[in-house]
Amino acid sequence: MINALLWVPLAFGFVGLFLPKRVVGWWATAGAAATLVIGVIMAFGFDNGAAGLQDTVHTSWISGLGVDYSLGLDGLNLFLVLLTALLWLGGIAFAAFREKERPQLFFFLMLAAETGTLGSFLSQDLLLFVLFFDLMLVPFYFLFGAWGIDRTAEGGPTAPRATLKMMIYTLIGSLLMLVGAIATAIISAHGGHLTFSIEAIQQQGLPVGSQRWIFWFFAAAFLVKMPAFLVHGWMPDTYRAAPLSTLVVFSGVLAKVGAYGFLKIVLPLFPQATSQFQTVLLLLALGSILYGSVMAFTQTNLRLIAGYSSVAQLGFITIGIFTLRADGSDGAILQMVNHGLVVGAIFIIIAILVERSGTEDLRAMGGMAMRAPVFAALFLIVTMATLAMPGSANFIGEFYILNGLFQAKIVFAFIAISAVALAAYYALRLYIGTMHNRKPDGVLSREISLRDGIVLAPLVLCILALALYPQLILHRADPSVQQSVAAVTESSESNLAVNE
Amino acid sequence: MSATAWAWLVLLLPLAGSITIALGFRATSWRTAGIIGTGAIGLAFLCGILALVELLGESPDARHHASALWEYASVAGLHIKLGIYVDPLSIFMVLVVTGVSSLIHLYSFGYMQSDEGYHRFFSYLNFFVFSMLLLVLAGNFVLLIVGWAFVGFASYALISYWYRRTTATRAGMKAFVINVVGDIGLVLAAFLIFQQLGTFEYTEVFAKAPQVFHTNEWTVVAICLLLLVGAFAKSAQLPFHTWLPDAMEGPTPVSSLIHAATMVTAGVYLIARTHALFVLAPTAADIAAFVGLATLLVAASIALVMTDLKRAIAYSTMSQIGYMIVGVSIGAYSAGMFHLMTHAFFKALLFMAAGSIIAAMANEQNIDKMSGFGKAMRFTSVTMLCGGLALAAFPLTSGFFSKDEILAYATARGGMYLIFTILGYLGALLTAIYTFRLIFRVLRGDPCPEAQHLIDTGHVVHAEAPFNPATGEIEDTDVGFPGEDHHIAEQSPPMKLAMGVLAFLALFAGFIQVPGVDETVTHFLDPVFTDSPLAAIHPSNTAAWVGLAIGAAISLAGIAIAWWLYVVSPETPRRLQERFSAVHTFLYNKWYFDEAIDILVVRPALAVGRFANNVFERFVIDGAITGGTEETVGRAGAIVRTLQNGVVRTYGLFLVFGAVGLALYFLIQQS
Repeated sequence: MINALLWVPLAFGFVGLFLPKRVVGWWATAGAAATLVIGVIMAFGFDNGAAGLQDTVHTSWISGLGVDYSLGLDGLNLFLVLLTALLWLGGIAFAAFREKERPQLFFFLMLAAETGTLGSFLSQDLLLFVLFFDLMLVPFYFLFGAWGIDRTAEGGPTAPRATLKMMIYTLIGSLLMLVGAIATAIISAHGGHLTFSIEAIQQQGLPVGSQRWIFWFFAAAFLVKMPAFLVHGWMPDTYRAAPLSTLVVFSGVLAKVGAYGFLKIVLPLFPQATSQFQTVLLLLALGSILYGSVMAFTQTNLRLIAGYSSVAQLGFITIGIFTLRADGSDGAILQMVNHGLVVGAIFIIIAILVERSGTEDLRAMGGMAMRAPVFAALFLIVTMATLAMPGSANFIGEFYILNGLFQAKIVFAFIAISAVALAAYYALRLYIGTMHNRKPDGVLSREISLRDGIVLAPLVLCILALALYPQLILHRADPSVQQSVAAVTESSESNLAVNE
Repeated sequence: MSATAWAWLVLLLPLAGSITIALGFRATSWRTAGIIGTGAIGLAFLCGILALVELLGESPDARHHASALWEYASVAGLHIKLGIYVDPLSIFMVLVVTGVSSLIHLYSFGYMQSDEGYHRFFSYLNFFVFSMLLLVLAGNFVLLIVGWAFVGFASYALISYWYRRTTATRAGMKAFVINVVGDIGLVLAAFLIFQQLGTFEYTEVFAKAPQVFHTNEWTVVAICLLLLVGAFAKSAQLPFHTWLPDAMEGPTPVSSLIHAATMVTAGVYLIARTHALFVLAPTAADIAAFVGLATLLVAASIALVMTDLKRAIAYSTMSQIGYMIVGVSIGAYSAGMFHLMTHAFFKALLFMAAGSIIAAMANEQNIDKMSGFGKAMRFTSVTMLCGGLALAAFPLTSGFFSKDEILAYATARGGMYLIFTILGYLGALLTAIYTFRLIFRVLRGDPCPEAQHLIDTGHVVHAEAPFNPATGEIEDTDVGFPGEDHHIAEQSPPMKLAMGVLAFLALFAGFIQVPGVDETVTHFLDPVFTDSPLAAIHPSNTAAWVGLAIGAAISLAGIAIAWWLYVVSPETPRRLQERFSAVHTFLYNKWYFDEAIDILVVRPALAVGRFANNVFERFVIDGAITGGTEETVGRAGAIVRTLQNGVVRTYGLFLVFGAVGLALYFLIQQS
């Protein structure tokens, strides 16, 4: 089952290469839908109260190096897998409704990227994780480079040039992580049998000295991917270059792999280093929150408003993880799903807005709600979820995160929560600036088309359903989260014991 | 059925109404939408009464029930249930909210008739009532925050209801952001409560608090101050009040319902609900009382000079809420809640009358251009007078009993609290003056052209082109709302009915709470407040009646002063204005609060944003970090480029470097 989940997208994509242009979009949509169905079936079979891995596949792959092909589901990745499948379906369906050049290749790359992303969520082997982590990006290089938007007219870079920037950033991160992974396996083997199994490495443990530098090798990769404050330099150009349908998944899911990596790998494998660098990471995340929020309310390009707001949101998620408390990390998991849903919806909405107005500049828009009450209502719900209005699941996510922070580092909590007011401002500014006020000439106020509605409505329904019952995710994530967090708290306790 | 079952129904009906109207907006006529909306609230009111009956059937000590539907978010030691709490206080609020709301829905049914967004309006209005009920029925702090934020959202949505007007969208944004600041206060308070007491449930918090906290311990004071941030933001108390006058951009029924009768009194409810904490933090309670006092005086002084009819009433609302905040903070709980109720009646009524007159003026709101409506609109002016009398605390009207009860309590508490009595009476004098300034100037005198037109033809004037009353800007004809037709009470039976009922209540509702005679409200709310030592303080009947006599004299004096200033000698106000032009400018500019906030908060935030965008992002992120990295990679790439070209090769290079570096590291470690 778990193998099917992982490889179905790629298989559909490969077959799609040989299909005629007209049907390939639908074929790809069917592939993404099939993946989602498999994911949902697996979610129904999931044992809610259990902490460990379920649905595992485990075969030796490169036995000499101790690399295994090992996959599994647990509370950490279950809903991220579902989110991946859902957003990919949305992004692909949205693209399938529109004309594309070389659609076979486009959809092949999209589906290949889905397999890569699912692989990094499902991997239970460190090297397999690194491999998927890198592989999931390769299709995006080509998607952005070949189908991207040339910004030279606005004084910006060409699409390939913008993609290059992203490549350099992410490749440096990936390489550091690769080195880190190899080092982890070698050092943790203590001269014995080499293994990359995350579980085994956790049991063997690493000396604190090695943890310190390897921690940063992994952190670098994850922080770039989010992106976090100071290493987000690739984000603005990339977001402006990328085709909007790919941004739905790129912004919605890929950033979460970084956050997930912290919970899945960094906390259990480098516990002492984690508690040692807690404050540094919290400060960095605080920087992301404040800087992202401030930038989001000064931008005029819709994509960048959404992009910088993601920087801020990922800052919240990072903070939740580095409270090193179960409540904060539970909130982080919930918030990863919430943020994926809203940002995916936002990019679909932005794509529709741009089609209606022929511009991406907020200042040249307005008044689009008049003839589009349904679209306005959907957009309004997404906006309110984005700014984490109480009553949305996003609020519960932030509530758990900030409660954790409040109990762990009270001063940080006071600073972080101020960003909630900033979020209210930039999210409403986006909504009002496009939908309300006077309508400039050339901007169309037209109701959302049925085909776009089919893509957007399910996302909004998921947002509403989670708002009513966030416990759905919290309850299933909690046992696994407790395990990850306990790794850190236990190690720091034993540290104390040693010192005494 | 039990009281909680009825309470769940109370909650469910408006939500169902809102969703039904929203989903059926293409299939239903405006009339159906109005009937569903008004009916849902009317039924909710009925359920509220049935809950009341259930509650009264129990012994006073047993009149509190908690009920929960499902675990909302309960992991990692936090237990948050979707639960409500039913006691006399919440049922009191339910009755006030649903009662006044159903009348305002009825009024809106007529008033908004020709507006194209009719469905949207009623859907939002029902959603607002649902949110407000959630706020008052919530059984824990998290759900309270949800209701708190939902009303903020509904308020935003209805303020910017006419969203093609930039003035309206800006006002909506302002209201929303300031309310979010209030939400943050509540959230932080909840965190601190959780840290200290380990729970969010009301019952557990209030039971544990006296065991855990010492009186005036910093933690409990901090909790209360954070709660107050929320209360002040929602109830438009200094310095979080600037959004309320701007909120008058919304349609008048909205001003009446949300920005006068219900939502803005949420802060009062909050203090009453959490009185168990405030009793432990007398410092915080005193701060609340003094802020309330300052607000009531500042707002009353501004109301004296406002020329915009709705904004003048809005400042009056702030001022009256100041009285309620003073009341519940110093311990006059039932008096504060009683004033909340009477104020809901007469202020809702005043807004309705103002709406009727503004409709007759074709949306003009400047009182300088109004006069003589007493002759042109009999019904509206009589009801407006009823509302005005109650607001000015004219003897035996509802406002008379409720306001003076708060001041009598302050006297009975004595000591420092006499300040509240004295300045409270000063505020009462100002209230009577500004109220009758409006009434005399709008209703008396020679009819203005619009009033004359109404008298002559029996029809309401229509502006040649629809315009924005705030800016005078001609509106986009594509807008379609607010409708071309204006509706006044004289020509609309639903409006007339709503205003008639409220006029009756404004005049006579005070008789349910006469000192020494019946005191119904006090008896009903008593079980909620028995745990507070302050509830034991009770002014003697003599003291209460002396207070009432002083209040009556002050009210009459204020009305007389207004009569002299605006009827007998209309030159005097103008002369005063010239003589004290500095004072007038200061008041007319609303004490420059907007400007101060602009300089202290808005501009610095924007400056930081500009700095981040123009300097930091460009030079540090894009310049130093990204540029530096790219250059390094570029140089490294250049070496390889002699062999092969391309970025993918760079990757290979890094792999080699990485492996070599790693090998070196281990060699060093091993040796």
